Amino acid sequence: MELELKQLRDRCIADLNAVTELKTLDNVRIKYLGKKGELTIALKGMGKLSNEERPIIGKLANEIREEIESNIMAQKQFLERQEIEAQIKEESIDVSLPGQKHQAGNLHPLTTIINDLKEIFLGMGFSIAEGPEIEWAKYNFDYLNVPQDHSARDLQDTFYYQDDIVLRTQTSPVQVRVMEEQQPPLRIISPGRVYRCDEIDATHSPVFHQMEGLVIDKGITMSDLKGTLDLFAKKLFGEQTKTKFRPHQFYFTEPSAEMDVTCFKCGGVGCKVCSNTGWIEILGCGMVHPNVLRFCGIDPDEYSGFAFGMGLDRITMIKYGINDLRLLFENDLRFLAQFK
Amino acid sequence: MLVSLNWLKEFVDIKMAPFDFGEALTMSGTKVETLTIVSENVVNIFTGKITKIEAHPNADKLTICTVDLGMDERVIVTAAKNVFEGAIVPVAIDGAVIANGTKIGTNDFRGVLSYGMFCSIEELGMNTDLFSKEIMEGILILPENTPLGMDARELLWLDDVIIDVELTANRSDCQSIVGIAREAAATLDLPMAEVTGYDATSESNAEIADYLAVRIEDPACPRYVAKMLKVKKIEDSPLWLQIKLLNSGVRPINNIVDVTNYVMLELGQPLHAFDYHSLQSQEIVVRTVVDKKIVTLDDKEREIDESMLMITNGKAPVAIAGVMGGENSEITEKTSLVVLESANFNKGSVRLTAKQLGLRTEASSRFEKGVDPELASVAALRATQLLLDISACDVIEGMIDVYPQVATLKKVALDVNWFNAFVGISLTVEEVSSMLTRLFFTVKRISDTVLEVEVPSYRMDIELKEDLAEEVVRIFGYDRIPGTIMGGETMVGGKTPVQKFEDSLKNILVGQGYYETLTSSFTSEKRLRGLNTQLEDNLIPLINPLGEENSIMRHTLIGHQLEVISLNYNRKNPTGCFFELSNTYQKNSNSGELPIEAKKLAISTYGSGDYFELKGVVELLLKHSGIDDPDFVAGGSDFLHPGRKAEIFVKGIKLGEIGEIHPIVVKHYELPKRCYVCQLSFDELFESASLDNKFTDLPKFPASNRDLAILVKAEIPAAAIAAIIRKNSGEILESFELFDVYTGAQIPDGYKSLAYALNFRHHERTLTDNDINPVIDQILGELKQAFDAQLRE
Ligand SMILES: [Zn+2]
Repeated sequence: MELELKQLRDRCIADLNAVTELKTLDNVRIKYLGKKGELTIALKGMGKLSNEERPIIGKLANEIREEIESNIMAQKQFLERQEIEAQIKEESIDVSLPGQKHQAGNLHPLTTIINDLKEIFLGMGFSIAEGPEIEWAKYNFDYLNVPQDHSARDLQDTFYYQDDIVLRTQTSPVQVRVMEEQQPPLRIISPGRVYRCDEIDATHSPVFHQMEGLVIDKGITMSDLKGTLDLFAKKLFGEQTKTKFRPHQFYFTEPSAEMDVTCFKCGGVGCKVCSNTGWIEILGCGMVHPNVLRFCGIDPDEYSGFAFGMGLDRITMIKYGINDLRLLFENDLRFLAQFK
Repeated sequence: MLVSLNWLKEFVDIKMAPFDFGEALTMSGTKVETLTIVSENVVNIFTGKITKIEAHPNADKLTICTVDLGMDERVIVTAAKNVFEGAIVPVAIDGAVIANGTKIGTNDFRGVLSYGMFCSIEELGMNTDLFSKEIMEGILILPENTPLGMDARELLWLDDVIIDVELTANRSDCQSIVGIAREAAATLDLPMAEVTGYDATSESNAEIADYLAVRIEDPACPRYVAKMLKVKKIEDSPLWLQIKLLNSGVRPINNIVDVTNYVMLELGQPLHAFDYHSLQSQEIVVRTVVDKKIVTLDDKEREIDESMLMITNGKAPVAIAGVMGGENSEITEKTSLVVLESANFNKGSVRLTAKQLGLRTEASSRFEKGVDPELASVAALRATQLLLDISACDVIEGMIDVYPQVATLKKVALDVNWFNAFVGISLTVEEVSSMLTRLFFTVKRISDTVLEVEVPSYRMDIELKEDLAEEVVRIFGYDRIPGTIMGGETMVGGKTPVQKFEDSLKNILVGQGYYETLTSSFTSEKRLRGLNTQLEDNLIPLINPLGEENSIMRHTLIGHQLEVISLNYNRKNPTGCFFELSNTYQKNSNSGELPIEAKKLAISTYGSGDYFELKGVVELLLKHSGIDDPDFVAGGSDFLHPGRKAEIFVKGIKLGEIGEIHPIVVKHYELPKRCYVCQLSFDELFESASLDNKFTDLPKFPASNRDLAILVKAEIPAAAIAAIIRKNSGEILESFELFDVYTGAQIPDGYKSLAYALNFRHHERTLTDNDINPVIDQILGELKQAFDAQLRE
């Protein structure tokens, strides 16, 4: 019996070693360890054994079973590894072949600039206000303190739909609307489309874009205006950017200023971008005129505020080095695809 | 405006370098655009008198001139024709440099040595635009009394710096040398010289009254001053006067006219000189006229009307008030008596007249911005003094001054505490007071912190304390104000849900390969007709468009998308995917309200993909908006292909339309054969969207899948079959998808096979056939009944 078992084990191991495919490995297990397998049948003959022999043979049989099982396991792992290796070998690819084409589009560069600006001001607690592009003349001029006989009101300068309705020439009417509808404190920006009767050329367009900002609260000072816009310039053009405020005049504000920033291209040394001045004019600003506050029902003795406005098309052109405004409105893919 | 720095220095002792001076002016509010030296290169050019002219022995076209340069004499060979013995001319001696940088040496002209050359105005670097062709082409002949041996740089102000300043609309008082000098004096804290005028205070008006009376019949003329002079001789002005005009960009004409221009440049008051005898009248009446025409000084016939203010002789117009004089009363060589007009005209009146005539002059552009009425008498007396100084005229005693309503000076109170709080600095009352005084305000302290500030008549821009704040701050220096971070209430700010939704739609489209476009808001009837669509009656036409093609505000984005495609296609870009989220405009049926502005989202594509690819993108956008079951119903606008267009509905609300571009429109717009567009109403889309994100438990029970292949007549729309599937499945249908549309072998002609994968699930138990089979039977039953559809085995 003992010999018989050992021969059985040797046969089984020989069979196992002869197996070359995983799927036939199980056949060997069934042949020896299955319900009708050789070891199972051999063990059924144990009843005939003497009481002394039985534990010895039983132990041996268990050892052989374990040995066979561990051999099966080892052979299985071996075959699996072989199979994986074969698969890997077969499946190797030329990783240098080009990838499958996927296309992502992109936003228009003007939108990207608007988004940059929005982000800066949203971070300072501003909201975004919108208003009509076709606007009452009184909102576009009168409430903004523009004199009745000012040439900006002429048909040569402003598009009219009706005698009292214009295409807004600035986004400032939005500020008026916000001031009329909401109580201070206010912090808003209003980006949007504006219109003036300019024939299109490399730097002018009858349709262009502006962003204006407005802050109204108790105790807002001109220093706040400077601090806020200086911070804005640093965020948009980089930490090293310096600003320069020059006195200017707008009807909407008093005092008024224009803000220059150090040229981001040359850092202020002078180059083509800044016409060798080292500075680039970026925006107009000032303390909101008391007449405007009064028009909108805000008491100028109680509240003060500042406003600023900038040309977005111009900033887009400056930031990306675009030399012709018409490119922005032309939408040639070879242009659009440059702004990831 | 051009300002001569040399002239300016006659009023303020400016010692700093021109560039620094320009910076200082800019920072105090007078923006300096450019600083230009009249002639940077010119050196060693001196005045010389030609004492002798001889023919050249070897050249007909050359002459040999002996020139007296004061200290020495030298020979110059010249080809110039306009020189003569006795002429004083600029001589570039050897070693000189002329305007274009050429060095002048001693040259041999056919055997005769020339020790330099005579110069033309161009070689001197002067503004050639302001001279006649005759003068420009010859050698500059200087006045007889010019000293010899004098450096031309000094004599002709070639070293002058011309400052181009950009004035703001409110500072009409700066439109003069004196105006800029006031700014310079205040900025640099320097004293300023006074202008000397003729003293007429002791004169009686009897003499002038013998000649002339003035009547104002229109309030658009607040003041009219007239002074009369007897002409001694009409001739060229002295050189110094001509040069100041030249360096201000004004052409010298004769002594009388030059003085009127000189005073206008110096003080900012436009003057006009009439020939007294040509007036043919003893009165000047300022009023409107019924005459239809006047010939102006520039020899042009101008059409006038009753809206325009005129200077008349009581019968006919002799000048257009504040714009230009009439030819009929022009100063000529024969003029013996001059009427000098120094009047004030309303800015609105002059602006409208100049605009209507299309005639802007130095005078009108000053009046348009506003001229101080107080200036009228000052300027008249200044001009009189100059005309006497240059011996052009003798004075006629007396002055006519019609000034019905003399202006009083404004007083504005300024509380220094308020000022400091408003600006965010802390100046003392004395500091504020001294800065205002520098700016020629008269300041009186009326309490501890309050100043009463009297405003000079020419500062028409100062009304309020805020105006004074700006005055103080610009002299203090904007750059010295600290930058602070706003205090006050904390504000949350941020984007609204609509604004976030907009961003998310754009992001999805960008991720799908679409490029955002930016197109103009204008369109036209012609452009809209290209869309094969009847023009709607709700369009917004402009009163004053830039050309027909920009005459209407667009009510759809489609035309512009097609123009973008056309441009790209014709520029050989093989494919293109575009979108734009922009406003469209249409008439508001409610009168008294603004037009309607509706945001629309247009998506377009050409060169790759088809209707279904674009539809897939739209479905993705809708799904992202929380819209799961949009209806695409065949139909839509006429610019779309009749067999390939659909309107998009959500719960009965129309969101927009999608389709292939109609072949006719393809022709009109020069498009590639197949383009696909979709336009959605943004507002309706946002209304229909459900943007709340809520978590639902993951399913605990498995799903059961069934595939159904349905044979149906080809014309039955898939949407109708989908509707029946949805309607009959109840809650347990989790999702279903049409995964194959098949026609061909095994399918009868006129039929199609639609294969659906249905996905059933119950969230509380595992579904069995007993749950699902009745549903399938019901679906098939209704499909058969409705469309005679069969299940394909
Ligand atoms: Zn630069």
